[in-house]
Amino acid sequence: MEDEEHYRGGWELNSKGKLQLKAGNKLNKVGLGKIFYNPNMPELDDYYEPWTYDYQTLFGPEKKHQPVARAKSQITGQTMTLTTGPNWDDDLAGSPEYVKQDPNMDKIETDIKTNFEQAFMMYLPRLCEHCLNAPCVASCPSGAMYKRDEDGIVLVDQERCRGWRMCMTGCPYKKVYFNWKTNKAEKCTFCYPRIEEGEPTVCAETCVGRIRYIGVMLYDADRVESAAETPDQSKLYEAQLDLFLDPNDPKIIEQALADGISEEMIECAQRSPIYRMAVKEKIAFPLHPEYRTMPMVWYIPPLSPIMNYFEGRDSINNPDMIFPGIDEMRVPVDYLASLLTGGNVPAIKSALYKLAMMRLYMRAKTSGRDFETAKLARVGLTENTATSLYRLLAIAKYEDRFVIPKSHKEKVEDAQSEQGTLGYDECKGCSLAPQHGSMFKKAEAGESTNQIYAESFYGGIWRD
Amino acid sequence: MSFESITAQPAEAIPTPIFSSAKHDGDRYSPFTVNIDRLVPFRTLTGRQQFYLDHEIFQEYGEMLANYKPTLPPQVMAPGDTTVKRDDHELALRYMTPHGKWNIHTMYYDNLEMLTLFRGGPNVWLSPIDADKAGIKDNDWLEIYNRNGVVTARAVVSHRMPAGSMYMYHAQDMEIQEPLANITGNRGGSHNAPTQIHIKPTQMVGGYGQLSYGFNYYGPIGNQRDLYVAVRKLKKVNWNED
Ligand code: SF4
Ligand code: SF4
Repeated sequence: MEDEEHYRGGWELNSKGKLQLKAGNKLNKVGLGKIFYNPNMPELDDYYEPWTYDYQTLFGPEKKHQPVARAKSQITGQTMTLTTGPNWDDDLAGSPEYVKQDPNMDKIETDIKTNFEQAFMMYLPRLCEHCLNAPCVASCPSGAMYKRDEDGIVLVDQERCRGWRMCMTGCPYKKVYFNWKTNKAEKCTFCYPRIEEGEPTVCAETCVGRIRYIGVMLYDADRVESAAETPDQSKLYEAQLDLFLDPNDPKIIEQALADGISEEMIECAQRSPIYRMAVKEKIAFPLHPEYRTMPMVWYIPPLSPIMNYFEGRDSINNPDMIFPGIDEMRVPVDYLASLLTGGNVPAIKSALYKLAMMRLYMRAKTSGRDFETAKLARVGLTENTATSLYRLLAIAKYEDRFVIPKSHKEKVEDAQSEQGTLGYDECKGCSLAPQHGSMFKKAEAGESTNQIYAESFYGGIWRD
Repeated sequence: MSFESITAQPAEAIPTPIFSSAKHDGDRYSPFTVNIDRLVPFRTLTGRQQFYLDHEIFQEYGEMLANYKPTLPPQVMAPGDTTVKRDDHELALRYMTPHGKWNIHTMYYDNLEMLTLFRGGPNVWLSPIDADKAGIKDNDWLEIYNRNGVVTARAVVSHRMPAGSMYMYHAQDMEIQEPLANITGNRGGSHNAPTQIHIKPTQMVGGYGQLSYGFNYYGPIGNQRDLYVAVRKLKKVNWNED
């Protein structure tokens, strides 16, 4: 599904150098009748057909053979042969076939060999990118998708969604899904009720490896479009970087306050771990910037074993070895560049040099060995920044990882009178809402509470 | 005590029914403190910490100190076993049953979510080199057997595997998606069907200093590694649910 040449997600530049959705603009969709037939729509088999097991057979009568629960489709109920699933190629499973299908392989020069000695893999956890230039929003014929002004979260208005599913095609990361029960599009909500309360998202909060960070970024919204129109795709990363504003710059602070951004927000932007990693240290990168989406979930490229000397006995005494070493990394640099910078290899390399040097420095420090600290300057670090970067990445304290201001809804609405308004009766977002709705109708029609209770519950369990 | 308070400075935990900690007089719970602090002799022949084993059976096997022993020669079937008609394309692979990525023994692996997050049923991993030799493609049904038993599973072909070895991750449920084996006509077993416990004569030593049986203290270990299996395609996938 990563092959957006096939699924036509994201943006491209037209002959005038202007942005246009890869799948075509609105006129084209209506004119060519594509609004009713979308040839680029990923189909069920492009995801997978969900299955379950016939568990009931395990409780059947005694038979000659021990019983077995077979897979059956959750859609048709028929027994099915499993040939694909959401994590089918996990840990290089089926690699002889699937490595070839990785579109990132086509774009790089390194010859990837699928043999045991040179095997490499990395996990890439993906969620919605909450893009600055979101093609899902631009694709929706009903205007049901929107990016919130206050925090940049991209959401689907469940009331307005008419099930066109153009957002699914439009999103090059394929992060909008269709709910066949409600006939509405659904996507990652960046756990906005938590963000509004200053809490991290559930995926970030629960990440065992503590690899997820959340922070505020100030950016210049007026320049997003022109940045996304940067002709050379390997310059898109830098163009996006250029949109981010320095929260410590007095002029920026003044302008932000004038634009109604709260002091708390500005203060969080100043302490933002994301600003530190993306802008100050330049060790984090956007996923597939060449889609021209200006994505807002950034990734730190992984260090990986380096064939010879790098981690060897002599590496601490000779930190210079990291420079040739990075070129010999198991996960090739140009592979990382094709994922994270639209092919800008030097940007990835300097991030890896920095991470590797930080590690060598910290190792020398904790093992009481000599380290020529002047070397740190070659990768843009000082003893102080190396130590604090190490603390941010390796100690990764909760309060350093998540610096999230509260949304202060009380400033925009009367919080007291809003209390309890999102409740049972008309809350369409809750799956039980129709049931509750019918209960209210019954009550209005004069049924007693006891009657309603007896009809709707048994033993305290919802009957649905 | 909270996570924050213990990251700020060390804090002392008191013993609880579920976790040991400081005992009394500042003692810490750690092994052998009684032997070091109170000078109670270690329960060895010499009364000291002892690595060298001078028992005659250990001497006979050359295992007085920890040492390297090569693996056993490959053996799938032995003389006198039931004869299994060999297949033209049959591999003999070293068979290993490591712990899975998501599960500890049977815990967590066989629920719908985790099965959905991989191949949906029993599977074995092998290298593309071996797979090519036997004409095996990814997701083919395989029959794996040796003198101990037979198991059926889907092939996962990956260059993550070195040639000559096969993995079947621990504790995959044999009541889910497990067809009948062609060899026995019965339902295949799980990862432990082709394994067997090797007992070494040195594990029979007892009543000799520290080599004395005590529950969770000393006894023969269950070593069921160092095994080979014959691997071939499962010709007929028969579920036979009646
Ligand atoms: S990643 Fe999210 S915001 Fe970006 S296009 Fe996809 S659904 Fe929209
Ligand atoms: S946990 Fe929240 S932020 Fe994370 S992917 Fe899910 S909805 Fe999005």
